[in-house]
Amino acid sequence: MSALLEVQGLRVTIGSTAAVRGVSLSVNKGETHCLVGESGCGKSITALSVMGLLPKGSLRETQALRFAGEEIGRYDERQMERLRGDRMAMIFQEPMTSLNPAYTVGSQMTEVLRRHRGTPRAQAVDRAAELLARVGITAPGLRLGQYPHQLSGGLRQRVMIAMALMCDPELLIADEPTTALDVTVQAQILRLLAGIQKDLGLGILLITHDLGIVARIADRVSVMYAGEVVESAPTAALFAAPEHPYTRGLLSCVPVPGKVKRDEPLGSIPGVVPRIRPGFAGCGFRDRCSRASAACAGAIPRRNAGDSHEVLCTLEPGWGGKAAA
Amino acid sequence: MSDTAAIEVRGLRREFRVRQGMFAPAKHVVAVDDVSFSVPAGSVLGVVGESGCGKSTLARLILGLLEPSAGDVLVDGRRLGGMDRRARARLIQPVFQDPFASLNPRRRIRDIVAMPLIAQGDIGREDIARRVAEALDRVGLSQDQGTRFPAQLSGGQRQRVAIARALVLRPRIVVCDEPTSALDVSVQAQILNLLAELRRELGLTYLFISHNLAVVEHIATEVAVMYLGRIVERGESERLFAAPRHPYTRALLASVLTPEPGLGVPDVGLGDIMPDPANIPPGCRFHPRCPIAVARCSTEAPRPATDQAGLVECHLA
Repeated sequence: MSALLEVQGLRVTIGSTAAVRGVSLSVNKGETHCLVGESGCGKSITALSVMGLLPKGSLRETQALRFAGEEIGRYDERQMERLRGDRMAMIFQEPMTSLNPAYTVGSQMTEVLRRHRGTPRAQAVDRAAELLARVGITAPGLRLGQYPHQLSGGLRQRVMIAMALMCDPELLIADEPTTALDVTVQAQILRLLAGIQKDLGLGILLITHDLGIVARIADRVSVMYAGEVVESAPTAALFAAPEHPYTRGLLSCVPVPGKVKRDEPLGSIPGVVPRIRPGFAGCGFRDRCSRASAACAGAIPRRNAGDSHEVLCTLEPGWGGKAAA
Repeated sequence: MSDTAAIEVRGLRREFRVRQGMFAPAKHVVAVDDVSFSVPAGSVLGVVGESGCGKSTLARLILGLLEPSAGDVLVDGRRLGGMDRRARARLIQPVFQDPFASLNPRRRIRDIVAMPLIAQGDIGREDIARRVAEALDRVGLSQDQGTRFPAQLSGGQRQRVAIARALVLRPRIVVCDEPTSALDVSVQAQILNLLAELRRELGLTYLFISHNLAVVEHIATEVAVMYLGRIVERGESERLFAAPRHPYTRALLASVLTPEPGLGVPDVGLGDIMPDPANIPPGCRFHPRCPIAVARCSTEAPRPATDQAGLVECHLA
């Protein structure tokens, strides 16, 4: 089966920063692929590149960028516009900035359908009401007539999800969709996304910094650091046997209720994320890595560490024994 | 208790007048409603709850940045109301969430850290320089970093600056309001480790406010759960996380997504009604979202019940 979304060798340069340096990933139909990493690692830029929404002045190169088997890397803006919001939809972190405050929920939701499909208004309104109900909003009729500021953060994010589903997309790209929400609402929204995905069989590319979210909803994880995917694996394998020193470090930083004792220091990664300039060679993590050697300044091999488990590191897979607790 | 309590709060209440529309009549919003507790010296009280529960208002009341509408705040046995600002600054200091917003971008780091000392008015220049150097050292910043401007530092380094500034007067109490929420996980771990180390070495008392329960469990000795202005459960950290008694505490804990694959996303069972501080429901304020509410909960407000395990405010606990 060919992948729904296939990215190969994606490079993005913004000004004097190499933001994405050769990222390859794929999302299958019905699969949730999580892109995880800290701020500045290039995860959002990767998502924006896929959608053709990079900021002005950025330079994108790809070996391949295929959506449903079709090469979209050379699409012009009009072709991309036709795709976005239709077969490829997206949700952002802060729904308040992606919803237009001057229009009602109903008019924004129906616009998507009317624009892409030319659906008559009445039919579009029915579809919007149906989807609001689908995302767990009681009294959808009332919400359609309201403005975004009249809704709570959780409701707004539900509206965003419903809006993204208006045209039955095949791929949903969600960039930190629950980061601005309370934990209780976050759990509800993620449950909702998981349920919708199961029912509609869509592919989801989810960008997050939260390893808890990754563990609970991803089928596959790609860990990004300094513009590269340093490790990619099925979720269970990544958490059970992380290979890359960065992945291991990241996992040890997260306080896990009942596992880490009080006053026992958490693992932490010394130093800060470097800014990578074009022409940088070697491993971007080597200055913070306790296992770094001279080899890390050269070309880094992409190694196979198990069933569809890949790691970008000079260390032999299995170097650290079993997973750090 | 009160002779050892670093922070003691009695019947604390704070109202705000808000207008929800240009012509709507002003409403009273009770952000903190009859809150009482005491924090023994050297311990960490974690305060958790959703946005709008009043936890940040509580922090500001305890810092003396807001006047209470009713009730008292005692810091180190002394009433905060009427205390001289300089004396207050020597006792209690804040660390806020956003190190980008809380540091003056036009000042050098060492001048930012020196501010509380200068504000005291009676500390000599050499003394100030020495104590700033000490504070920077203490939080893991180099003297060279002290000569830079905030924009030249990373988020984690800036939060270290905020901690150095809080510590430079050698306070007994530090109020941390979401101190790691704006930071990446690897940096969050560094800051949490630093805060824990400072507490042990300097015998500090923390009021630690966070929406991140895993972080609170890691650092707090005692935890208070707030819901719409009231503390609905309080208890020793281990007990509260192992055996929560209030249905709201249980829902909060259930919604923590630990990095354990295969468990899926839990159903927290709270429905889609959101708490609104401007419209507090009658009876138990949690009843519209409570998965186990009975008829009584919608009419009669529960009173706090205290025993060895702590405090809980629920008809059914």
